[in-house]
Amino acid sequence: MIRSCYIHIPFCKKICSYCDFCKLFYDTGYVLSYLDSLDEEILKNYQEEELNTIYIGGGTPSCLSICELKYLFSILSRFKRSKDCEITIEANFDSITKEKIDLFLEFGINRISFGMETTHEWILKKMNRSLDLSYVKEIICYCREKGLTNINLDLMYAFPGESIQEVEEDVSFLLSLDVNHISTYSLILEEHTSLYLQHSSLVDEDMDARMYQRICEMLKDYVHYETSNFAKDGKYSRHNLCYWNNWEYYGFGLGASGYILNIRYANTRSMTHYLQGNYRYQEEKLSTYDKMEYEVILNLRTKWGISKNKFFQFYGKNLEEVYPYQKLIDQGYLIEKDDNIIIPYSYWYLSNEIIVKLLEGCCYE
Amino acid sequence: MRQENIRNFCIIAHIDHGKSTLADRILEKTGAIEKRELKNQMLDSMDIERERGITIKLNAVQLTYHHDGEEYYFHLIDTPGHVDFSYEVSRSLAACEGALLVVDATQGVEAQTLANLYLALDNNLTVIPVVNKIDLPSADLPKVEEELENIGFSKEEIIFTSAKTGEGIDTLLEAIIEKIPAPTGDVHKALKALIFDSLFDAYRGVIISIRVMEGEVKVGDVIRMMATGATYDVVGLSIDTPKEKAISSLKAGEVGYLSASIKSISDVEVGDTITLQSDPAAEALPGYQPMKPMVYSGLYPIDASKFEDLRDALDKLKLNDASLTAEPETSKALGFGFRCGFLGLLHMEVIEERIEREFGIDLIATSPSVIYEVLLTDGSKVMVDSPTKMPKREVVSKTFEPYVKTSIFTPSDYIGPIMELCQDKRGTFINMEYLDQMRVMIHYELPLSEIVYDFFDKLKSFTKGYASFDYELIGYKESNLVKMDILLNGEVVDALSVIVHKDFAYNRGKVVVEKLKEIIPRQMFEVPIQAAIGTHVIARTDIKALRKNVLAKCYGGDVSRKKKLLEKQKEGKKRMKKIGSVEVPQEAFLSILSTGDK
Repeated sequence: MIRSCYIHIPFCKKICSYCDFCKLFYDTGYVLSYLDSLDEEILKNYQEEELNTIYIGGGTPSCLSICELKYLFSILSRFKRSKDCEITIEANFDSITKEKIDLFLEFGINRISFGMETTHEWILKKMNRSLDLSYVKEIICYCREKGLTNINLDLMYAFPGESIQEVEEDVSFLLSLDVNHISTYSLILEEHTSLYLQHSSLVDEDMDARMYQRICEMLKDYVHYETSNFAKDGKYSRHNLCYWNNWEYYGFGLGASGYILNIRYANTRSMTHYLQGNYRYQEEKLSTYDKMEYEVILNLRTKWGISKNKFFQFYGKNLEEVYPYQKLIDQGYLIEKDDNIIIPYSYWYLSNEIIVKLLEGCCYE
Repeated sequence: MRQENIRNFCIIAHIDHGKSTLADRILEKTGAIEKRELKNQMLDSMDIERERGITIKLNAVQLTYHHDGEEYYFHLIDTPGHVDFSYEVSRSLAACEGALLVVDATQGVEAQTLANLYLALDNNLTVIPVVNKIDLPSADLPKVEEELENIGFSKEEIIFTSAKTGEGIDTLLEAIIEKIPAPTGDVHKALKALIFDSLFDAYRGVIISIRVMEGEVKVGDVIRMMATGATYDVVGLSIDTPKEKAISSLKAGEVGYLSASIKSISDVEVGDTITLQSDPAAEALPGYQPMKPMVYSGLYPIDASKFEDLRDALDKLKLNDASLTAEPETSKALGFGFRCGFLGLLHMEVIEERIEREFGIDLIATSPSVIYEVLLTDGSKVMVDSPTKMPKREVVSKTFEPYVKTSIFTPSDYIGPIMELCQDKRGTFINMEYLDQMRVMIHYELPLSEIVYDFFDKLKSFTKGYASFDYELIGYKESNLVKMDILLNGEVVDALSVIVHKDFAYNRGKVVVEKLKEIIPRQMFEVPIQAAIGTHVIARTDIKALRKNVLAKCYGGDVSRKKKLLEKQKEGKKRMKKIGSVEVPQEAFLSILSTGDK
């Protein structure tokens, strides 16, 4: 049963130098026709399920005008929502206004995720971003005042040339804002980004690992519940947990991905195709083997790991039979805790190594 | 064909002097192939031969040539040029009455020119000196002429050709008729045919190359191999022209292929004599001693389940390569494999490449070793062809290693660097002869193990490729040898052990551990790499623990791509060998060999 839905808004006022997401320069002319086509896509595919989570991501959804946002929300009101439906929207401090926040609340948005990334002027410049720290504080205050208390801030580290002190300063700033959710990533140099084309080189592996460790230490009052995500007061991102639980979800919009009826699909990244109603770009039909691999890869990202019971309920096989894990437990690469198989916290930054070892031993024909 | 009208000859030369190109030209001139059909180097049928420009396996071709109203059959037997294959050269020489000694007009006489000439003279062949590549602007005919005179030819004997333009080829063909004697041997005597080569054909079984010395063999005859005693019905006889042509009989003096549905490879020994079951010859032909391997290396399939395939591949290769030996061996690190003996490094490389290419088996080869002689404290003597067989130090009284005498030909400009290299390689200077003002032959005694290691590469780089060299085994000399082990994470990796001279062990150990550090990827824990003699560690370095391998971001849109990334990592790990808990890439096992001190 599908309980989650992702909506992609591919427009940005500025293109960040590291970003390889599906994005376009904001253009009023395009936005309305894009929203028309989005409406069409939802109409064609949505099967009237009651949704537990809706996530409006981008791009920069907050860069839409009030008028465009209203149109977007009118489209999204088509979705049936469960009583405690989590509705998240992504925003950045360049384009967010109090007026827009009011509108979000009116529609029922109850979680907001801000891309902050760094507080350092020289890094912002290289990222092709800007940030006014006092405005950040003001907006976060305003959200709280209005009852929008579920707030996430994104932080990026290991930018070429960045020092560990600079990372610490960023985290201190985050801590001072006292939001209940933080996501943090080391920079990934993706092909086809302007940063990649500038032949930037990343900070070395050891420094990257030190920065991660330092961030984890500084965020000790948060629950580190997924490789890159921290939460307080139980305010986990329920939408993202749907991904890590390997549950099905809709993905609507340009370049969006979804997982429905055993098919993982990706939409076209071509605006022309999208506007013509050619939404799907590729589909991957999953075998049981594939699904079990996804289960392992995704579940092991979280502090809860894989539930043996759930695995058995879903696949009718014992996890141990499909992926013999005892040796990895003996070696200290996995932990068995009640019903769950978990990667020990000290190995989270090496999780690929362990996941690969586990997948290698697969006994499912 | 009357015996008087048959000529059996081969072409011998230093590597790269144009042997195969000359063979092509002879094929074309005798009408065996049209020019347009001519693939470069027609006789080299294996891919590796054509790619490397060297001839590995011999080939026999029958050519028809008309001269003064008479028809002649030429049997041209191609030979390898590299020093490693001198054994095969001597095999083909035994099937011939004459040899064309090809010398490059721009290079002159080289080390292997001489080595091959002596082999031919030992076999009582008539040798025709041929100066080839005379079309090249850098050809220096008077100089080459003088060099040939210095080694015993008269000016009048020398034939000048350009295999490229065809110049001089007619003269050469006439000289073959006039100078090379026709074969002798009584057609009416009992059959004696020399097996000088064999190969395995998937459809016809073993195919044998023979030279009939006496008597006659016909399709349908029952033959017997005199050494192995095996008997077979002759199913087919043929000769390449170079297209295969079926014939009904082979008579004394003739060369051809024989097939007899032979499935058992071990029944056929190159050098053996074939006779008739019904009318056997009293005694076999002298044959020749197979050359003994000088270099040993362990070959292991990366995929352990391919062990039997590897055995099969080695059996098939041994069939036409009597100098290749293979004994099963086990390595703690690598599992089941074979200890193989080779004539030299090139021979080893060619065999490895053929196994990988023709049989599709990915290999790990351990570092090559020579055969050491070890005198034990109890007075007994053992021969050690693998570091793992080296007895414990406590029971070793003396160690000996094989030495070779090298002849290095070089322009005189490079005498300094060459002597420096030879000293470095524990060489003893013997003497130096000037062939003319520009060219020198330097003789050194060197441990064979140094030559196996990287001497040839070094020699080429020290002399910009101008020097050539040849070597012959001169026996064993006492030497202070030790076994150096390599430990990964505290465990000895048997496949990485080497036997080295004690004085060089420290240096070698340092280089090897550093090289391994470069090759072995970081693991989830710190991995010390040590080089040790016995329990004494002589070099150490550590591979730092891996700190990061994670998919930092993984949301709805990333999932499929991230899974592919992990699958790629999984594939990468499959190609590694697990030694204890350390994952080691294949290249690591050859690192000991390629640790040139750059």
